[in-house]
Amino acid sequence: MELTVKNLTKEFKDLTAVRGISLTMTTGVYGLLGVNGAGKTTLMRMLCTLLRPTHGSITWDEQDIFSMDRDYRRLLGYLPQDFGYYPDFTVYDYLMYVASIKGLRPVTAKHRTKALLEQVGMAENARKKMKKLSGGMKRRVGIAQAMLGNPKILILDEPTAGLDPSERIRFRNLISTLSEERLVLLSTHIVSDIAYIANEILLMKNGSIEAQGTSQELLSHMPEQVWTLTVPRDQVNTYMHHYKISNIKTVPGGTELRILSGTRPSKDAILENATLEDLFLAYFGESPYGHTNVDESAGEQDG
Amino acid sequence: MDIRMSTKVQVSRMVKYELKKVFLRTGNRVALLVLLLVTGITCFFAANISYVNENGESTSGPAAIASLKKAQKEWSGLLDEETLRQVIAENRRIRTSPEAMSDNVRESNIAYSWGQGIGEIRSLLNCSFCAFREYDYYRADSLTEAEASSFYANRISSLKDWLSEEAKDQFSEKEKEYLISQYESLETPFFCDYMAGWRQLFEYAPTVVMITMLVLGYLVAGIFSSEFSWKSDAVFFTSFYGRDRAVFAKVKTGFLLVTAVYFAAFLLYTGIVLTYLGTDGYNCAIQNSWGSWKSFYNITNWQEFLLIALSGYIGCLFISSLSMLVSAKTKSAVIAVMVPVVLIFIPSFIGNINSPLVNKILGLLPDQLLQMSSALNYFNLYTLGGKVLGAVPILLVLYSLLTGILLPVLYREYGRKEVG
Ligand SMILES: Nc1ncnc2c1ncn2[C@@H]1O[C@H](COP(=O)(O)OP(=O)(O)OP(=O)(O)O)[C@@H](O)[C@H]1O
Ligand SMILES: [Mg+2]
Repeated sequence: MELTVKNLTKEFKDLTAVRGISLTMTTGVYGLLGVNGAGKTTLMRMLCTLLRPTHGSITWDEQDIFSMDRDYRRLLGYLPQDFGYYPDFTVYDYLMYVASIKGLRPVTAKHRTKALLEQVGMAENARKKMKKLSGGMKRRVGIAQAMLGNPKILILDEPTAGLDPSERIRFRNLISTLSEERLVLLSTHIVSDIAYIANEILLMKNGSIEAQGTSQELLSHMPEQVWTLTVPRDQVNTYMHHYKISNIKTVPGGTELRILSGTRPSKDAILENATLEDLFLAYFGESPYGHTNVDESAGEQDG
Repeated sequence: MDIRMSTKVQVSRMVKYELKKVFLRTGNRVALLVLLLVTGITCFFAANISYVNENGESTSGPAAIASLKKAQKEWSGLLDEETLRQVIAENRRIRTSPEAMSDNVRESNIAYSWGQGIGEIRSLLNCSFCAFREYDYYRADSLTEAEASSFYANRISSLKDWLSEEAKDQFSEKEKEYLISQYESLETPFFCDYMAGWRQLFEYAPTVVMITMLVLGYLVAGIFSSEFSWKSDAVFFTSFYGRDRAVFAKVKTGFLLVTAVYFAAFLLYTGIVLTYLGTDGYNCAIQNSWGSWKSFYNITNWQEFLLIALSGYIGCLFISSLSMLVSAKTKSAVIAVMVPVVLIFIPSFIGNINSPLVNKILGLLPDQLLQMSSALNYFNLYTLGGKVLGAVPILLVLYSLLTGILLPVLYREYGRKEVG
């Protein structure tokens, strides 16, 4: 039960989407976190044998997954990011069809389909046509589809995108129950998803894994510390030029900034416990408040 | 044994769903409806033959067909010298009657009505007594009974004349010998009968077969490309059977669709036309109708029918397979749908260039399989390993083989698709 990636690279015509990743995964939930275009989907597609790597190897218990062919696919459940389906099929037919190409016996297929429809909360919509489902409902069917074959390796590309908050919570619980005796790799942009579900976090940037570990490990090895500091409103821009700011909050008497910095930004700054959001910012260096912000340019125009 | 059974069951389950994907598509349903409609309209045209009654009025419908059949049946039987003499005499009698000479349209129509029983034979006389590449509608009128004896010999001698003059450089000596021996081995005298059912069936068969092919191209192209356009490809190819049996099921679905839709359309057309016009003359040589007088394929109407059915099927299978392969390669149904369109329509444009080499190539293109009733009348000859063959047997073998090659290629091509 070991999926090993060695020096994995995928080059497209004019860009390298995945560069030299080496990684070993066993049972448990792995959360793949990265900005748009980091290469998460490309990596997952290779792990699903949909794309052939340019260099490097992927092995399952020391066997090359591409030569394992259907023996590997038997172990695999995949929810693609842009999950497509047959628009005129009903949910039930769709799942029964996928069960047939997954080689499930009809009796097993019926049983699994029913159980999974319950589990993802789609039992009442089983006779609805796929094209009539809402985005979140489609994704739930997608998750059910990935689970049909009771896979040892479950790869979910942004499974929570489009789910409402209560469904997200439900989904997290589902993953937790599913993750026993399974390798689950999921990608997301939603930091809190990862925080709740993943045992192991993989931070991906520009096609490489920048850091890897449990959230505790990653937080304790964070290169910067987190500080809060309340400053007068007119100093906000100055701070934003110099520091990564993970949060801005207006408080009585000024603006409270959450600052990432290796050194104390000011003698009044208070050291805080880092969260995964801070971690994300530390690695990807992208503040939601950007460096060219509206206030600044507006200020220049005034002057 | 147990495992193989279950393989079959699994594939047929997948085929069932593949068919479901095809038939649930609105576009595909519309295409099938169009096919049904066009087949119906073609039946109407094919069955629409008229009869001019003794008052000189043109009639149609079942009564007209019955009258025509009755008139022609009076002349059915061996078309020997004696019968031919009688036909020539009868034709002269009608043509020189006051009604035929009259300027009055109605009068001349009445005269025409008397000639419908011998109409087909009269056309054959025109063929026989004109030069090889000519057809003079009035040639029969100037014949005398004495000339009847050369009726069958003319067919051979005018071929020989043509081969030694106009078509001198078009064929090799061996090919010329082949043509002449084919002509000589045609059994004479003909057995002649009412055969409007077959003649009409053959005339409109290419329309039905080609429309069927166009619709099939549309149906089968989607089997492979729609996984990509629906973006269901990722789930498909990561499933256990996604690169083998599920692909096989797709190929099989294509094959089944072609078979079912082709024979449904063809048999519907045949059934309607032959039920309406009758199957009389099934055992007559195809040369009995003036359109096929010159054909060097010595077969009967019944055999031509089988040939049209079979070659149309092979043609549809081949073109559909190619269309499926293109759809698998390009991931685009639009390009795949163009395959049958190009294969059917381009040859008829090139056909205007009159060069022997171009004709030789055109004679072996797959559209020929879809219009076998015409192909049987073309003088396309090929010398293979010292043996002379007409285009028809080559077409049948060639495209069966090519289909047999294309389907496994399609299977491999699709089974190795990348998604990304
Ligand atoms: N088939 C392809 N051909 C060329 N370039 C591609 C292809 N697929 C992906 N890319 C490029 O590779 C890079 C990584 O894409 P990928 O989809 O793996 O990112 P991602 O991390 O999944 O992003 P997102 O969070 O937006 O889903 C991007 O720059 C993308 O444009
Ligand atoms: Mg992605």
